[in-house]
Amino acid sequence: MFQGRLAELIEDRPDDGVFRVSRAIFDDPDIFTLEMRRIFEAGWIFLGIASQAAAAHDFFTTTVGRVPVLVTRDGTGQLHGFVNSCPHKGSRVAQVMQGNARLHVCPYHSWTFDSAGQNKAIKWKKAGCYSEGFDQTSHNLAPLPAFGEYRGFVFGSLSADVPSLTDHLGEAAKLLDLVADQSDEGMELVPGGVTFTYDANWKLQLENCSDAYHFTSAHPSYIRVLEQRQKQADDSVVKSVFENSDYWTGESEGVAGGSYSFAHGHVLNWGRFGISEALPLYERADQLAQKHGRAKRDWMFNMRNLTIFPNLQIAENASSQLRVIRPLSAGKTEMRTWCIAPKGESAEARRQRIRQYEDFFNPSGMATPDDTVSYENCQRGFASGVEPWLQGYARGQTASKPGGNIFSKALGMEPERSVLSDAQLCDETLYHSYYREWARRMAGAVKA
Amino acid sequence: MSGPLTRAEAEDLLYREALVLDRGEWDAWLELYTTDAIFWMPAWRDEVTPTSDPDSELSLIYYRGRRNLEDRVWRARSGMSVASSPLPRVVHAVTNVVLESADETGGRTASSFTVHLHDRRSERSHVFFGRYEHHLVHHDGAWRIAAKKILLLNDVIPTVVDFYSI
Repeated sequence: MFQGRLAELIEDRPDDGVFRVSRAIFDDPDIFTLEMRRIFEAGWIFLGIASQAAAAHDFFTTTVGRVPVLVTRDGTGQLHGFVNSCPHKGSRVAQVMQGNARLHVCPYHSWTFDSAGQNKAIKWKKAGCYSEGFDQTSHNLAPLPAFGEYRGFVFGSLSADVPSLTDHLGEAAKLLDLVADQSDEGMELVPGGVTFTYDANWKLQLENCSDAYHFTSAHPSYIRVLEQRQKQADDSVVKSVFENSDYWTGESEGVAGGSYSFAHGHVLNWGRFGISEALPLYERADQLAQKHGRAKRDWMFNMRNLTIFPNLQIAENASSQLRVIRPLSAGKTEMRTWCIAPKGESAEARRQRIRQYEDFFNPSGMATPDDTVSYENCQRGFASGVEPWLQGYARGQTASKPGGNIFSKALGMEPERSVLSDAQLCDETLYHSYYREWARRMAGAVKA
Repeated sequence: MSGPLTRAEAEDLLYREALVLDRGEWDAWLELYTTDAIFWMPAWRDEVTPTSDPDSELSLIYYRGRRNLEDRVWRARSGMSVASSPLPRVVHAVTNVVLESADETGGRTASSFTVHLHDRRSERSHVFFGRYEHHLVHHDGAWRIAAKKILLLNDVIPTVVDFYSI
């Protein structure tokens, strides 16, 4: 096990203006094992959205850390989360990504459970010569020790020793509202999920979502393609949401956006987009302003990259993506990704959203590969212990302010810290929130 | 050339497409497509069902119009995409070619593909495999690709998949 001290991994001295992270936390397999135990298998983890199990007896499967999980909707409409493992011999009970089943029959010895997790049959029970002690034990699927839903976002924990889901999400819940409130009917995942892996640590994805600094460096080829399409627009190319914004050129003046940091490691970075017809949401612009007020409507149109620590990211920029981060090892990560969209949008808006998504977000698109290959280059560099401290947590240190600002006030939202930035500030202090939560969760497992 | 599309002609076009992709002769590759060509790689709804309606379901790639493929070629050559430079080495093998329909104007083929890829930078080799469906049409004295559907069967993508590796 890792013998070093926490102070050798994260150096957090706000009074001296120092925040540094060691390469070791991305590279050390012992630290990875501790992260699985202390973060992924002992705290709130995003499981999926409620519409993935919309009807009675619908279900979907996922993982929490290394543990297989089954989410079901029972016959009364209630959602449940279970460890997807038969109490008999441990086999996964449900093996498919999603489906509908009143009964889940374990494929190994046919123990059978209903959609509320209750054991309905033990094969040849009477003939089994079971002891009284066996009969006194529950044979139901083990429910997740903590399970909850907020506005259609479903979370679970393998430990009961967690704050309430409301406390865990805190003020960042208002950013989930901005997603959920885009339609009165809520949101859904567009059919067709995309899964990819990269050979680097999961925290690189955590950071990249919040990283405004890389955009013009990593994605110039995508930006040039958009510019070219804009100059010669025709029906064969999709409109870009960046068309009416100079956010990405790095040349806009005044407040271009900023960042918010929340308790428990949640962060947002955002940019002003304006009410552009290139956004699929444009068809609802007036309706949303009437229902939610102009300020909240404008926020829905802003570029927003939200992380709910540690495994959920919702990126609303070139299109709208829901990502689930699944760490596989210190040096390998799986990303499960979907296009998330408001229910009931027009066929034309949906088509535009999907086209914008594929070009930007897919591992077969024109942007994500330039991120993931960069993560892999970082991972190579993390092998070095010559100068272990990384310097990528320093931008914005003199701009970071406690509390919110006029833009968060417009949402009635009170973050722990905020940064207002022009196009070139590209705050890096929002990562501090990730690593302060990381340190809090790892304390005790790693020496202080 | 006259008469209905033959299997030999269809195979010749499919093998040529494979060869020019393997050689990185992307201008020649684009020339094989009509200007209004559809280039489509569906995603998967679940373990067994690929997406089938690109307007309401997600695809890995969906383009209507060769211009979009030209953008992809431009990007891969631009020197501004770290994922595309240096390029991996690829070899396409197209097999089991069946001519499913044919007449004087064109025809449809089904085939199987494997693409072996070696990325020297990441010291990683991978095989993408699946099935192609080509719609070929007669245009300007040659058979060209009016539509190509790539059904990628192993769709957990190791970091990158691009037009040259499918």
